Amino acid sequence: MKAVGARLPRYDGLGHVTGRTQFVDDVRVGRTLWVKALRSPHHHAAITSMETSKAEKLKGVHAIVTCADVPKNVYGHLEALGVPADEPLLADGEVRYKGQPIAAVAAESEEAARAAVEAIEISFEEREPLFDIRKALDGEAPQIHQWGNVYPHYGPYNHRRVRKGDIEWAFENADAIVEGVYRPQAIEQMPMETQVALAVPEASGRLTIYSCTQAMYFSMGVVAAHLQVPLNKLKFIGGTVGGGFGGKVDTAADTVCALLALKSRRPVKWRWTREEEFLASSTRAPWHIEIADAVTNDGWILGRRMLTLHDSGAYSRFSPYGVTKHAFHHTGAYTIPNLRFDGFVVYTNRVPTTAMRGFGVTSVSFAVETHLTRVAHAIGMDPWQLRLKNANRIGDTSGNGVAMKDPSTVPVTLAAAERVGVELPAEFRQMTPEPRSGDLLPEHLREQQRLNGEDS
Amino acid sequence: MKLTVNGIEQEIFSPPLTPLLHVLRDELDVTSPKAGCQQGGCGTCTVLIDGEPRRSCLTAVAAVDGSEITTLEGLGEPEQLSPVQAAFHERYAAQCGFCTPGMVVAATALIERKGGPVERDEVLEALGGHYCRCTGYVKIVDAVMAASRGQTGAREDEPETGEEAPVMIPGSPA
Ligand code: FES
Ligand code: FES
Repeated sequence: MKAVGARLPRYDGLGHVTGRTQFVDDVRVGRTLWVKALRSPHHHAAITSMETSKAEKLKGVHAIVTCADVPKNVYGHLEALGVPADEPLLADGEVRYKGQPIAAVAAESEEAARAAVEAIEISFEEREPLFDIRKALDGEAPQIHQWGNVYPHYGPYNHRRVRKGDIEWAFENADAIVEGVYRPQAIEQMPMETQVALAVPEASGRLTIYSCTQAMYFSMGVVAAHLQVPLNKLKFIGGTVGGGFGGKVDTAADTVCALLALKSRRPVKWRWTREEEFLASSTRAPWHIEIADAVTNDGWILGRRMLTLHDSGAYSRFSPYGVTKHAFHHTGAYTIPNLRFDGFVVYTNRVPTTAMRGFGVTSVSFAVETHLTRVAHAIGMDPWQLRLKNANRIGDTSGNGVAMKDPSTVPVTLAAAERVGVELPAEFRQMTPEPRSGDLLPEHLREQQRLNGEDS
Repeated sequence: MKLTVNGIEQEIFSPPLTPLLHVLRDELDVTSPKAGCQQGGCGTCTVLIDGEPRRSCLTAVAAVDGSEITTLEGLGEPEQLSPVQAAFHERYAAQCGFCTPGMVVAATALIERKGGPVERDEVLEALGGHYCRCTGYVKIVDAVMAASRGQTGAREDEPETGEEAPVMIPGSPA
């Protein structure tokens, strides 16, 4: 192994420190037009009329696109994996979040494009918005989506479920029930490079798209699907990303640039302003997480009930996948034999939420680790010892019934304790990931190794 | 209007109120200054105007007619890095690289002004208005302090190429 542990120069390091790295916005192509978008000024509204003819006549304007120009307007990033789509590229008849794109203009300059956006005549009928995920299922709550307020496509269920063991038994036999509510909030990824794309129509009939995407093949598939063209009509150039942190997994500017380049037969560039980035680019989801643990006085977690509401914003994007990851990690790095988990993807009139640095997992880890410390305090046990006692061991089964082959909880926890100078009794210091035995294999854990989980 | 950009005199044809950032990027094809916010908030557009770090997005080109402008391209070449560039490179102070043009020119001005080793609080003061979303700043501050002390190589506590990785976690396969 030459690279592991070695100091290697970054392949792009010299370019970065000498200003030679070419980001998307640094690509110069003659006759490039600039794009500006008409975005929804309302959180939730019907579009009652729209007229672009005045804007089209303005000086320097070359093309305007609306939903009528998109060959396949509704498409989803996960559609190829069987997750149904719910988001229009350009709003069609209604808007579900403030900043949602409705139309886009390509013009000689950013100023001309902005003037054209202002000249588009549009009227709305405002509707009551929904922002609080906890109210989404109330009968009174405004209905904001064609599917209702919950994403409904988890097999036969309208949410992600985990059922394992006998949850009633666990709560009946507990010495204490410890409850907690955790609400990790939205975060804007805020890369220093805002969303940007450049689409260039080539003489060959292909489109070259310079993209700042983090997910090149997603973007190719998404653009090809919206445009209804085969992939060989698109050439993507990317890989130089001015920060992404998940916020550039969703295709943001590429498709609109491609449409406008085809319509105007000119290269077009769309560079979002910082305001647009904050207003209309995706964020990490806010979550509402409720946990109730059935515990014994000597520190066993017999069972966990958990409810998660994941704020998807106006469209689902990657949220169904985020909740699935969340469900998988809802016991943390610990073995809990009896489980009942329900996780809902909830629609609101916020900007759609999406990937950010382990989305789905970071939120649940925050909740689970905070909760474990709460459990330890409730039963008067050292939080390190509680963790080690319930730590995953070889042969334990995860929430969805997968047997652990190489769990790292014990060595990592011991290493962390040592680093911060925590003294542990010898019986804990000597723990290993090896299969449970003796005092660490009580009756309720003997059973769990044979039980099957259900993850539907 | 005229500007001397990285040592080359240029005649400028953009309208007088055009931000210097756009003159550099769109008229002169000097693209290291970046449009991170275009409202003075992030520092990615920073250039040296007669040696002083300034936000080019908020500077009308007419206001700097006749000045000397230095951007990151003007500080060194890949084969001949300036001390700050070398320290940023060797100490991994650039990740995505988008904030780097502003960081390096502002740090260069700080070290020039001080004329000797700069301390941590001086770096924080000078780079305080520059956002970096990737690095967490630790390596940037380290690189600037090192450059001001003429240390443009790798950190001394970095392992050499090919050295064994330290074992962090007992029982781990590393
Ligand atoms: S672009 Fe000038 S400070 Fe952000
Ligand atoms: S290196 Fe990416 S923003 Fe600083």
